Amino acid sequence: MSTSPINNFPTILAASIHDIKNSLSTARELIAQLAKLDGVAETPEFRQLEFEATRMNSSLMQLLILYKIDSSLFSPVIDEYQVKDILDDVVAQQKGVLALGGIGLIVECADDLYCYCDSGLINTLLNSIINNAQRYCRKTIVLSAYQSGDSVCFQVEDDGEGYPAELIADLSHPVANGPGNTGLGLFFAATIAELHGNGTKNGIVRIDNDSRFEGARFRLFLP
Amino acid sequence: MVKIAFMNLNLKSKKFLIVEDLANMRKAIRELLYTLDVQHIVEAANGLTAIAAMKRERFDVVLCDYNLGEGKNGQQVLEEARFRKLLPYNAIFIMVTAEQNQSMVLGAMESKPDEYLTKPFNGQQLLMRLERNQTKKEFFANIEQAIEAENYSLAIQYCDSKLQEDNRKMHLHLQKIRAELAVNTGDFKKADNIYREVLAARELNWARLGLGVIAYLQNDYESAIDVFQKLIDSQPMMLEAYDWLAKAHEASGDYLNAQAALNKATNISPQAILRHKKLATLADKTGHLEIAEKAYRSAVNLGKNSVHKSSGDFSGLAKVYSKTNNSAAALNTLKDMRKQYVNDPEAELRAAALETEVYQQIGDEEMSEQAYRTAQELCEKLGDKIPNDLRMDVVKAHYLKGNDESANAILDQLIKNNIDDEHFIGNVKAMLGSIGSEHHADALIAPIKQALIEINNKGVDLFKRGKLLEAMRVFEEAAEIMPENKTIMINMIKILIYDLKKSGFNQHKFAKAQDLIKKAAKYGVNPDKIGNMLMQLEKMSAVNESKV
Repeated sequence: MSTSPINNFPTILAASIHDIKNSLSTARELIAQLAKLDGVAETPEFRQLEFEATRMNSSLMQLLILYKIDSSLFSPVIDEYQVKDILDDVVAQQKGVLALGGIGLIVECADDLYCYCDSGLINTLLNSIINNAQRYCRKTIVLSAYQSGDSVCFQVEDDGEGYPAELIADLSHPVANGPGNTGLGLFFAATIAELHGNGTKNGIVRIDNDSRFEGARFRLFLP
Repeated sequence: MVKIAFMNLNLKSKKFLIVEDLANMRKAIRELLYTLDVQHIVEAANGLTAIAAMKRERFDVVLCDYNLGEGKNGQQVLEEARFRKLLPYNAIFIMVTAEQNQSMVLGAMESKPDEYLTKPFNGQQLLMRLERNQTKKEFFANIEQAIEAENYSLAIQYCDSKLQEDNRKMHLHLQKIRAELAVNTGDFKKADNIYREVLAARELNWARLGLGVIAYLQNDYESAIDVFQKLIDSQPMMLEAYDWLAKAHEASGDYLNAQAALNKATNISPQAILRHKKLATLADKTGHLEIAEKAYRSAVNLGKNSVHKSSGDFSGLAKVYSKTNNSAAALNTLKDMRKQYVNDPEAELRAAALETEVYQQIGDEEMSEQAYRTAQELCEKLGDKIPNDLRMDVVKAHYLKGNDESANAILDQLIKNNIDDEHFIGNVKAMLGSIGSEHHADALIAPIKQALIEINNKGVDLFKRGKLLEAMRVFEEAAEIMPENKTIMINMIKILIYDLKKSGFNQHKFAKAQDLIKKAAKYGVNPDKIGNMLMQLEKMSAVNESKV
C-alpha cells in the first residue's frame, strides 16, 4: 500500500481550512469592533471588507461540510420546521450587510408551510446563494418558499444579468468561470439537496434566468 | 445605537448570564443585549464562575460559548448545570459555537442545549431564537412541570389534551414527548403506535431509535440491535444509536460487540466522559486492557472538568495497570488520585485497598500491611456508605491478606443484595477467579439464589391466594436479610398497589409504596418500571383527591 503524503492531502486541507476559519473569525470580530467607530460603518470600503469576510467564511464553511460528507463524517439531522422560521433566520443574518449595500431583500412565504430538513444546512445553503445574488443583482433579491407538488421549493431571485449559459447547462460539476466564480456555492447546494431524501426521492437544485425580474433564479426542491 | 423593535418578548425582566472567556467578546455580547433592552446581565469568564453564578441565582437565559479556554468547556458547564438542577424548566440555554453543525460532534450523552447559535450573530438573530424558545417553553410548561414532579399521569393528561388542540408547529414535538412518557411508564404499545405514525409520514431518526428502545426494554435484543445497527449504517454520526447498540449487545451478553460500538462512538466524539467510563468497564470485563486503559485515562482526564468526575475511574485505571503487572503506573495513578481527592475517605479507601494488592504483588509486604490496616480503619469509618464496586476491592484485599472471615461476611451480604443482578454476580465471579477461587463463587452464590427463589415462590403463592398480609410479611422478612434486593422491593410495591386498588386508599400504605419506589429507583430498577409503578400510585391518589 502506498503511503505517499498525498494520501493525507484532503485531511491536511480540511485541517488548514479549519485553521484559516479560526483566523477569519478573529478578523471578523475585529471588523465588528471597527464598525463601532464613528462614521466607519457607512463607508463603501468598510462595506466591502465586511462583505468579503462574510463571503470567505461562507465558502470555508461549505468546504468543511463537503469534506465531512466526502469522508462519511457527516449525517444531516432531519426534523420538521416551519419554513418561515428558516427564512426569518436568513433575513436576520443578511439584514445588516444588505441594508448597507442598499439592496432590498423581499421575503414571501405562507405561515402554514412546513418542511423536513436539516435547518442548519439549509441556512448555510441559502446564505451562500443570497451572498452570491448580492454580488450580481442591481437592487432587489426575493427569497421565497412555496409548496410544489410533494416538495417544498426554496427560491432566490434577483434582478441582475442572470447566470452564464454554461453554468446553467451543467451544474453537477463546479465550473470555474472567470474570477470569483468557482461554482462552489451551486455544487454545495446540489450536494445538500441530495442529502435530503424522502423514500426514493431526493432533493434537487434548478437554476435558470426566469426570475420575475428576468435575472437569475435559484430553486431548491426538498421532498 | 439603534434599538431593535421586538415583538412580544419583554426582556427587561429577564436575567441573562453570559459565559465567555474573552473579555472583548463578553463586552460585545453585553452591548448587543443592551440593544435588546436587557437590563439584568451577569458575566462569567469561565465554567467555574458560571456554575457559581447559577448557584447564586436562577437565570432565564444562559448564553454560553462552547470554547472557554482552560477548564470546563460549554458542554461541561451545561452538563453540570443540568445535573445540579441549576436550570429551571423554563430557562433557555444557548450554546454559542464557532461553526454550524458542530452540535453533533460535541457528543453530549444526555445534556443538549435548547439552541445552538453560530458566531458571529446579531441582535435580531438572538431575539428570534429567544422568542421561538420562549413560545415553545410556554406551550410545554405544564407538561414539563409535571414531569419534573414525576407526576407522569398528569403529564400524560396535559400532553393528550394539547395533542387535541392540533397546533401544527408543536404537534411533532408533542408526539415525541408523549411517546417518551409512554416509554417511561412502560406503555410500550402506545409508544410503538406514535413512533410508527411519525415514521409513516417521514423517516425520522428519533422515531426509529424509539422503536429500537421499545424492543430493548421488552428484552427483544435481536430486533433492537437490528434497528440500532441500521440507523448507524445510514447515520454514522448518530452517537445515541451507538450507545443503545452497546446496551443491547451488552444485555444479550455480547460484550465484544458492545465494546466495539462504544469504541467507535468515542472515536467520533471523544468528549463524552460517561461513554468512556462505560467503555472502560466493558473492556476491563472482556480483557481488552489496552482499550480499558485508554478509556479510563480519558475518563480521568475529562473528569478534571466534569461533574461526573469520580475516584472510581482512577482506581479502575490503577487496577488495569496492576493486571498488566505495571505496578509503578498503578501506584502513580493512586498517588494522582490522592492529590485530586484531599480528605475524601472514599478515595482514600480505594487507594488503600488497591495498594494492599499492588505492594503485595511487588513483594513489599510491609507497605502492603500498612495499606491494609489503613483500609480496615477507613472501612469502619465509612460503614455502609461504601459503594458496591469498592466493597469488592475491600473483599479482595481481605482475601489476599488471608482474612477469609471478613471477606466472606462482606461478600455474602453483597451477593444477597444483588443476587438478581447478573452483571454484578459476574463481577463477583471474575474477582474470585482472579485470586484462584472460582469454586468458592458457586458455593457462595448457589444457596443464596435458591433461598431467594424459595422466598419469592412462597410470597407470590400467598399473594395469589389473596393472603396479602402474609405475603407482605414474607417479603418484609426477606428484605431484612437482603435490604437492597430489587426483586423483593418490586414484589412489595406490587402487593401494596394491589392492596390499595382493592381495599381503597390508605395514606400509610400509599406513603410506604412511595418510599419503596424511591428506594427501587435508587438501587437501579429500570426507569420504565419505576415510571409505571409511580403512575399507578398517582392515579390512586388522584382518585382519592377527587372523592374528597
